[in-house]
Amino acid sequence: MSNSSRRDFLIKTGYGLGGLTVSGLLPGGGVIASALADDAALAAIAGENPLAPKAPHFAAKAKTVIWLHMAGAPSTLDLYDYKPELVKRAGTPIPASFLQGIKTSTQGGVTKLIATKRTWKQHGQSGAWFSDWLPNLAEHADDLAFIKSSVTVGATHDISIMKLNSGGLNPGRPTLGAWVQYALGSANHNLPAYVVLYNDKREPRGGVTNWESGFLPAVYQGTPFRPGDSPILHLQNPQYVADSEKRNALDLLRRLNESHAGRYPTDTELQARTESYDLAYRMQETAPEAVDFSKESDATKKLYGLDEEITKPYGELLLRARRLAERGVRFIQVVSGPTDIKGDSRDWDAHQNIEENHGKHSKIVDKPIAGLLKDLKAKGMLEDTLVVWTSEFGRTPWSESGDGRDHNPWGYTQWMAGGGVKAGYTHGSTDELGVQSAKGSEVDTYDLHATVLNQLGLDHLKLIYKYQGRSERPTVVYGKVIKELVA
Amino acid sequence: MNKKVYSALVWGLAVVITGAPLAADDKPADEAGKSSKAKLWSYQPVNPPAVPDVAQSDWVRTPIDAFVLARLEEKGLKPSPDADKAAFIRRATLDVWGIIPTPEEVDAFVQDDSDNAYEKLVDRLLASPKYGERQGRKWLDLARYADSTGFQNDNDRLNMWRYRDYVINAFNQDKPYSRFIQEQLAGDELWPGDEQALIATGFMAQFPDNSNSRDLVQRKYQITTDITDTVGKVVLGQTLECARCHNHKFDKISQKDYFSFQAFFANIAPVDNIPVSNKGEVEKQWQAQWDKWQAATKDIRAKQKAIIDTHREEALKYHKERYLTDSREAIFKPKEQWTAQDRWVNHRLANVTTEGSLQSFFQERGESTDPKTYDKKVAEQWAELEKLNKELRKFDDLKPTTSSNNISAMTELGHPDAPPSFVFAVGDHEKPLEQVEPAFPAAITSEKPDIKPLAFSSGRRTALVKWLTSETNPLTSRVYVNRVWDQYFGKGIVATLSDFGKAGEKPKNPELLDYLAKQFVKNGWSVKQLHKEILLSSVYRQASDYREDVKQVDPENELLAVFPRQRLEAEQVRDSLLVAAGKLVDTVGGPSVYAPLPSAINTNYRNNNAAGFNDRMWRTSKDEKDHNRRSLYIFTRRSIPYPILDSFNMASPQEAHSKREVTTTPLQALTLFNSEVIFDWSKSLAGRVINEAGEEEADRINRLYRILFARNANEDELATLQAFLDEQAKVISAKAENGKFEINVPAEIKDKKIDDPIRAAAFVDLVHTVANSNEFIYRF
Repeated sequence: MSNSSRRDFLIKTGYGLGGLTVSGLLPGGGVIASALADDAALAAIAGENPLAPKAPHFAAKAKTVIWLHMAGAPSTLDLYDYKPELVKRAGTPIPASFLQGIKTSTQGGVTKLIATKRTWKQHGQSGAWFSDWLPNLAEHADDLAFIKSSVTVGATHDISIMKLNSGGLNPGRPTLGAWVQYALGSANHNLPAYVVLYNDKREPRGGVTNWESGFLPAVYQGTPFRPGDSPILHLQNPQYVADSEKRNALDLLRRLNESHAGRYPTDTELQARTESYDLAYRMQETAPEAVDFSKESDATKKLYGLDEEITKPYGELLLRARRLAERGVRFIQVVSGPTDIKGDSRDWDAHQNIEENHGKHSKIVDKPIAGLLKDLKAKGMLEDTLVVWTSEFGRTPWSESGDGRDHNPWGYTQWMAGGGVKAGYTHGSTDELGVQSAKGSEVDTYDLHATVLNQLGLDHLKLIYKYQGRSERPTVVYGKVIKELVA
Repeated sequence: MNKKVYSALVWGLAVVITGAPLAADDKPADEAGKSSKAKLWSYQPVNPPAVPDVAQSDWVRTPIDAFVLARLEEKGLKPSPDADKAAFIRRATLDVWGIIPTPEEVDAFVQDDSDNAYEKLVDRLLASPKYGERQGRKWLDLARYADSTGFQNDNDRLNMWRYRDYVINAFNQDKPYSRFIQEQLAGDELWPGDEQALIATGFMAQFPDNSNSRDLVQRKYQITTDITDTVGKVVLGQTLECARCHNHKFDKISQKDYFSFQAFFANIAPVDNIPVSNKGEVEKQWQAQWDKWQAATKDIRAKQKAIIDTHREEALKYHKERYLTDSREAIFKPKEQWTAQDRWVNHRLANVTTEGSLQSFFQERGESTDPKTYDKKVAEQWAELEKLNKELRKFDDLKPTTSSNNISAMTELGHPDAPPSFVFAVGDHEKPLEQVEPAFPAAITSEKPDIKPLAFSSGRRTALVKWLTSETNPLTSRVYVNRVWDQYFGKGIVATLSDFGKAGEKPKNPELLDYLAKQFVKNGWSVKQLHKEILLSSVYRQASDYREDVKQVDPENELLAVFPRQRLEAEQVRDSLLVAAGKLVDTVGGPSVYAPLPSAINTNYRNNNAAGFNDRMWRTSKDEKDHNRRSLYIFTRRSIPYPILDSFNMASPQEAHSKREVTTTPLQALTLFNSEVIFDWSKSLAGRVINEAGEEEADRINRLYRILFARNANEDELATLQAFLDEQAKVISAKAENGKFEINVPAEIKDKKIDDPIRAAAFVDLVHTVANSNEFIYRF
């Protein structure tokens, strides 16, 4: 069938008989873009493709989100949230007044305040504080918008990571990236719109839970890009099948499918399946190309720390992230991996020995993140790329063990950069010891999600999916855009 | 096809079908409720009208046909002619068994001219254990079945396969649906001595869980919530959960109704250590394996215990202190002062406390760089524990990985007194409002639960299932027959399978729905009879060919004048490929198995907690036969959905999964064409075809078509395929000329020699391509 006749019939027939009969039930519709997207007259039908590009609710400031999840939860008290009072009171019990209204564990006693051996300096025009653990990032002080009053729910990583990713305390809700993909579709026909990167040889803990589509259709689930030069599963031909062989086989497949389609002339689902093989064939080239650094300069590689062993793995992820952002991927979720601490594989979760743990983890991410910001800026991409530095919670000023810190969901720091946020601004604060956020300025994960969506041109209250009789939205029944963070 | 068209194709090139309801107005529902005095259609008694008279009465094989035909005739449509018999048996075998039929089964049916040929076929299909496997999988979707707990740690649940087998057996034995529900929700109360009834309560124990939760009070609430919402959706087709945080927006379900319903489950607790009483082969094998591990590690564990014993009390106290304020209150309370709620919290604590938990104490004292915490002696003990942990890990491979000799169940721990239930403001369990007692939603029924406490249990769930499975319950039977209808026709009579509320769809053919529901109850809730009646109907027997006249009158085919073709579900795809390759191992039941994962997925975790065990998330079965079991036996790990199945929209076990979506994506094309596992099956299929057909290529192609499509290839296809072999042989030769002679040849060929390896390699490509075609991946 020729291109124009295919289009004609898609217009005439709309949905196929039999197969697509329930498509009308879908809020995003059922079908297919197929051969349609570049024809304005056909945009309406193209809109039925769950991943066809869709317009945001209002003008977007950001096209792409790079979501840097510091897994295990860093102590932002030792990175950004300078507390001279904590240094002063280290070794003394915490006054009860600081613990009012919160439920804590008492393991090891809540009373032992500790300080780490940091030196602190203010940087840039904004005068933002950074500890000596982040010397490179500190140079970007004026690019960042700090949220120093982050709050969340949960005392363990699993619940809080789930909430950070999806807003839910139980599995089943879509992750933020899935919502973004649902709302905006894909800007690049050859890559998924929601990609997950991780710098460990192993899958991130919780696997698909971290990028699931929940009650949204599965097509919105994140696609993990795995380490190595073949990032998507099954991207390589079967062993010993040469490309010429495969091309020939695919031509046969098309002939067989088209001949069979004679009995089902209006069945667009069958057609979509026929087309999907050629798309997959092309993806075998485009996906590896997206993670191929051979055309990147040495200077760029150095910027991301690819020349040093300690920064290389995370640096590679961030360089991948930039390349994916360039190629129109909408949501890039980067999960920081564990590293070897005294023979054990550990993430940022420093209940013990924070000195060594955070010293190493800071080193792993500091230069690559600074490099990413610099690179995005140099390429003019920072304006419409929103970088979010986030974690499931922060850490307490007291210690269970005397040299590590417990989980703190009541007050911790996150930051955003680029994508239309107010660079150099600091939102909110914690109390003198960094336990709880100041009342009135708290930013919950729901608010963070609402603000990120806002930068993408999406109103979190209008981003609706009807499910089981409910109008579901990304922020559950909460969330507000933090206007002060928006430039 | 030109480049421009390519560029217009998008990544997700996709078709989605879900049960998402139409937009309903967002006005508060009790307002909406008040405006209409009459009860919602689904709350009214099941009441089918007389079977309608139809003009084309010779088409009517069962009353189902009359109900469907009456609507067609109103629109002036005629039903489609019968599908040809080969197409029919392929369709029915896929629907009832979940796999394609063998060419011999097809031939036998096609050649059977007897009057009751169809009935014999249907009886044969329904009598096979494969029926229970297929129906069982459907129910497992609803039961959010998994072999692991989910969340980040995603611990094993090695007892759950017994529940899976219970479900398969229930369908195979044609257990009445009413009894099936009673056992799953109240088996422990109603049949306390019956092990199967206890296993059945595993339905309630499928909730996702995080064993390291520090907030046990919240955990209890979340577990109770999970069960309440699941029962609402699965059994009643009600979105009760919408009323947890506020009154239901569409239905007349108040928050009070919601929490009153939740109160039926207020006293239940998961129990995972009930020993299996009837020990069969699986149990004996497990015991032998476990004994081996025990023996090999006896000394190591004894040494660890000796170390822990030196500080056991302190270490336990330290462990208990990790829990949050309100949990700790229950934990540190003397047992004689426990309330029913405290009892739950302490039961949970005991369930999640292991010897490993006690090592945290040693780690803290032993690793701290803080002189006030550090204890040199404990540090030495910790170093020793770590050493022993490492030694212990060396024996991990000895440990049984997919089973245990225990049952997981839900019981009330032998206590009739339940903790009080409250309405929670905005669903927040820390904000209790008025206290409530167990009650059915007032909008649905005015019946009151008749609760008779037992010596060992509250009796609440007995009262609940009595109502759920009473002949007058308007929802239970309607919801279930509608699910079965949806399986066969791709769409329920009520399209929103788990929402029979106001925001859900209305039934397209309410008379038919009520006929099926009534008949179902009348037949003693026999699921097999329901299937049989549908399978033998004329509606089901129709051809699926396109009809222009239907397209004009009923573009969505809602009236079913044409049989709706369907994309195979994930398990049907994988299992049918295995059947075609001649490799399916059709053992029924038993512990779950680990089929191989693509090597890019590395799941060898090392936990960073004190116990530091190696927890490989995917322990590929050593016995290769296990790799070729039916898909429903593959270990359902919540964090790692099995990739081949995942790409074809398997059910997510995070919550009750009502309907398989159909998406068409390039990832599926990549999976089906490039997966080494699937490609190997194509090699086996090629070998099988060569073994079973003669030397003639045309015969081989016909054999292939008969295996995959239940028909011979036509002349055009034969010509196309033989031309392909010529061409492909040239392509492969050219490859060989480039100095690489690496080709794929048919596998497992018996008593035959491959004379022309190049042409044999081309034949593998042919087989693989045909197996990738639309005609295979759909049933028509």
